Amino acid sequence: MNKVLLIADKLTKSFASSKTERFCLWHDINIEISEGEAMAICGESGSGKSTLLFALGGLEGVDSGTICFCNQMIYHHSNPYTPGISYIFQHYYLIEELSVLENLLIPVRVMGEKVNAGVKDQAHRLLLELGLEKFSHQLPKTLSGGERQRVAIGRTFMMNPRLILADEPTGSLDEQTSLRVIQMFFSVCQKFKTSFILVTHNENFAMQANKYCRLEQGELKRCK
Amino acid sequence: MQLAFMWTLKLALHYLFPKGRIGTFFTWMSIAGIALGVMVLTVVLSIMNGFDKTIHSKLIQINGQIKILSTSIIEDCTQWMHTLENFEGVSHVTPFVQGIALVQHGDYVQFPRCLGVDAKTVQSVLPLNTFVRSGDIADLNQGVFVTKGLAQTLNVNVGDIFDIYSPLSLEAIKRDEVLLPKELPIVGIFETEWAEIDKNTLLCSLETLQDLYGLANGVHGFSLSVKAGTSVQQLCSKLNAHLPKPLKAYSWMELDADFLHILKLEKAMSFFVLLFVILVACFSISSGLMSSVVRKTREIALLRIWGARRWQIAALFCWQAVFLSSIGILLGFIGGISVLHYRNDVIRCLTGLIFPKDFLWNFYSFSNLPVAYAWQDFALVGSLTFIIALLAAIIPALKASFSLVTRSLRSE
Repeated sequence: MNKVLLIADKLTKSFASSKTERFCLWHDINIEISEGEAMAICGESGSGKSTLLFALGGLEGVDSGTICFCNQMIYHHSNPYTPGISYIFQHYYLIEELSVLENLLIPVRVMGEKVNAGVKDQAHRLLLELGLEKFSHQLPKTLSGGERQRVAIGRTFMMNPRLILADEPTGSLDEQTSLRVIQMFFSVCQKFKTSFILVTHNENFAMQANKYCRLEQGELKRCK
Repeated sequence: MQLAFMWTLKLALHYLFPKGRIGTFFTWMSIAGIALGVMVLTVVLSIMNGFDKTIHSKLIQINGQIKILSTSIIEDCTQWMHTLENFEGVSHVTPFVQGIALVQHGDYVQFPRCLGVDAKTVQSVLPLNTFVRSGDIADLNQGVFVTKGLAQTLNVNVGDIFDIYSPLSLEAIKRDEVLLPKELPIVGIFETEWAEIDKNTLLCSLETLQDLYGLANGVHGFSLSVKAGTSVQQLCSKLNAHLPKPLKAYSWMELDADFLHILKLEKAMSFFVLLFVILVACFSISSGLMSSVVRKTREIALLRIWGARRWQIAALFCWQAVFLSSIGILLGFIGGISVLHYRNDVIRCLTGLIFPKDFLWNFYSFSNLPVAYAWQDFALVGSLTFIIALLAAIIPALKASFSLVTRSLRSE
């Protein structure tokens, strides 16, 4: 049995809708993710999927409940960095001034680690895996949307994460490209035995995950 | 620590000089603004230094490095000459008599400032030869030298003779006596290029003026030159400690203290006014960086998620100001020195388009702009520009470092 990586227990989140009233976004959410496990969350726009994802990473605070990642409690505080957790967003947020290779190396530099031959080798292997090796010295603006998102995926893996929180990574791509990118993402996650929580509108993609849930009316319903 | 610091430096450089480009529009406009400000300051301050240097050297040529003055007549001139010449640090000494007299040539009358000097010793302290336009200073005992301005006013030339009335004439009138004017030939014309002197000054031998003022062997003071390596101010203090009252030594700086103060004030004001060029350039850096912060808000959020500290985000933007100002300062100095190197060609070209050929000489008594480089000015301009640019980056840097990560990532 795989080791449990993340446990979210009875998470509740509400917003002030007026001066006196509060709107409950979701309540009593329980999530458990083990090592190498994939989970997908679907739901309508505005159901609070992204907020839940941000809350699981400690980027967003919750009203009540606890989040435990690798036996460490996660709190929302001024430092948004949680070692072992990495993100992929709908928009790629690549640094336009840097080459594809440098975009992959920048998280390593920011983490204060030395970019030695081993790290560069890892970056090249990832680029090869994602079919981007020929673009390594090009600027992101010369790439297509799908290629850029693949660079963003590669960049995420450079941090050697144990859990990836992916917020609609194919949201701005066409259907065919989305399928190619998501397949690549699943395969790389599988290869590196990385767990992930995928927030998506696409049920076909969600069905491919080990766990599939829907966020409806503030509740997380397990579908698979 | 070093690694945590280095990536901010590298990324800042990439923001200014993206891969495959020689810099962004913002980069080069910011550098141009700083460079222009530094260049203008360098040019103006160096030219002002040049004028200062020229004026200082002129003041020394006219007055000597030290002047010893007395409120009464100094009777034992030879004794004092001997004492002063043997004083430690004093190189040469020359006595002088000065005052006002009435001169007349035909219908023209003037009250020039008269300076009586000892023809034998004066050249060792005051380089009068350099001022002579016609005549020979060795002929001083045979007549007088007048300035170009006085010669024009009196309508005289070398060889002419004019009458000079002593102030003693007034005393004689009180006693119902008549003191006849002295007839003196003009043996030369001089010009110091110092307007105050050139307008109305007469130069004659010490004996002539002593005779005219009835001083016998008395003098009004001494001009001193100082041995190389001796501080004028220190020697002045030493002399004042030894000299009996009412004798007092004045350095050339003290004699024209007000004028020199105005020169300093002018330079300070020019610096202050031109500093605004740099301030404006730094404002544009600040607004450029601020728009960069807004544009890169999601990148900043990502950097924070990857573990970047607030100070590292702030450093990322401060580094940009450091690079922009450093390059701007360097280019500004290079531009300034280049302009100063070709200053005379530039000025001749500009004035030649509008004014006659000798315009500068006729109006400002110079045909070549004097320049003096002062490393202190370069250091001041460079460091002030650097500090202002860094201060300009602080607000964008703070905004970047305190931007909210979740809001930035959700903003679309």
